[in-house]
Amino acid sequence: MHIADGILSAPVLAAGFGGTALLAAVTMRKMGHEEIPEVSVMSAVFFVVNLIHIPIGPTSIHFIMNGLVGVILGIRAFPAIMLGVILQALLFGFGGVTVIGVNCVMLGAGALGAYFIWQLRHRFPLGDRLEMIFGGLAGATGVFVSGLILAAALFSTGEEYIATAEYALAAHIPALIIEAIVVGACASFLKKTRPDLLAGQVLQKKME
Amino acid sequence: MSLEIDRFSHIESSIQRWDPRLKILSLGIFIFVAALLKTIPVAVASLLIAILIIKITNIPFHFVAQSIKWIIIFLAPFFFILPFSYPGDPAFRFIGLPFAWEGFRLSILIFTKAVAIVLTTDAIFGSSRFDISMIAMQRLKCPKVIVQMVLFTYRYIFVFIDEVKRMEKAMRSKGFVMKTNMNTLRTMGNFVGTLLIRSFERTGRVYSAMLSKGYQGDLHTMITFEAQGKDFVKAGVIAILTIAVLVADMINIFHPAIKGWY
Repeated sequence: MHIADGILSAPVLAAGFGGTALLAAVTMRKMGHEEIPEVSVMSAVFFVVNLIHIPIGPTSIHFIMNGLVGVILGIRAFPAIMLGVILQALLFGFGGVTVIGVNCVMLGAGALGAYFIWQLRHRFPLGDRLEMIFGGLAGATGVFVSGLILAAALFSTGEEYIATAEYALAAHIPALIIEAIVVGACASFLKKTRPDLLAGQVLQKKME
Repeated sequence: MSLEIDRFSHIESSIQRWDPRLKILSLGIFIFVAALLKTIPVAVASLLIAILIIKITNIPFHFVAQSIKWIIIFLAPFFFILPFSYPGDPAFRFIGLPFAWEGFRLSILIFTKAVAIVLTTDAIFGSSRFDISMIAMQRLKCPKVIVQMVLFTYRYIFVFIDEVKRMEKAMRSKGFVMKTNMNTLRTMGNFVGTLLIRSFERTGRVYSAMLSKGYQGDLHTMITFEAQGKDFVKAGVIAILTIAVLVADMINIFHPAIKGWY
């Protein structure tokens, strides 16, 4: 899920870069150098997982996994997604250089939304399936929020893109379902094996 | 896989010899101007400039073809959606669907610009070693934390791709086949989880090694840049072309793509 070069208008591109700078400044506050490798690792995993395709009937769809980044890194998910998007633009022309800002806001805001939903799990004592359910919701939120921003970016560029925005939104429904299941399974797997990797997990221990 | 963007940075050409700072700056501005063009003839001109630049770098065509392939995959839907959804009077009906030339021209414009941009990006980052490009970015006032993280991530990507390949091989040898079902998705969840654990553990060790060598959050490098007359001349040529393209697009000698072909 990316917007390509050459579609959006100058104000939308500028808003993308402005939004990215602002979100990066907020989410990278007080980031020590010991966090640099951690964010980079997650960013590289995000990049690599994006290359994996899941078959859907005759076609296939690639993972987005911005929700998972939120579940693992919390607010530091934004810089991680940003690096992933920058590298995708530089190495593949995936998206493109001029839309780095818009794509960062789109995928990064999805990750932050996913983290917000993920943190709500502390309020619901659902027992064993807690991580699976909230991981799933977080995975779906990541795709959903990003899809909305994608549609908004197309809408605000011009009325000729309204139909495109609608198709783009519809095309995200299968991705949303797949991400929900995979992120849910992944979160519950990590809860059993390395719960310290999940965001906000230490906090929960203190509360107990 | 075209991941190794700097594979052809060792080839001799005037683009490879160009000071990376001036190269990134001047071609970067060209890219942004190209992205905002509104007329098809000027977009085609910018594409020709981009082809010329990539030709000078001597980067083989099969390498840039990879990037163009991605654009085609990305933009193909626009060719199917825009002509059939453009608001206003359709020119004719195509298999029962209203077909508008405006939408078709808009797709052509988008596609031309996207190819021009990706070729220029390949020329910028394909013609210097990636770490040198990033250090040049840092000299251009890009925050050093971001430059450092991009370099780390770039390094890790190759490591993790190998990891994924090993894990896939292990799964296949145990009889796993990807299908459209719950079992596949749940297994992929565990796959991603395992990849995460392995990645964090490996890089944890790398980080300890870095700390023991005195890492304190700075990246030291022996690379220095020195811009000479020739470097500025090249930047000047690109600047003139960029201005020419921008002016030609703005002074109304051509119609915007939605109004006409030229």
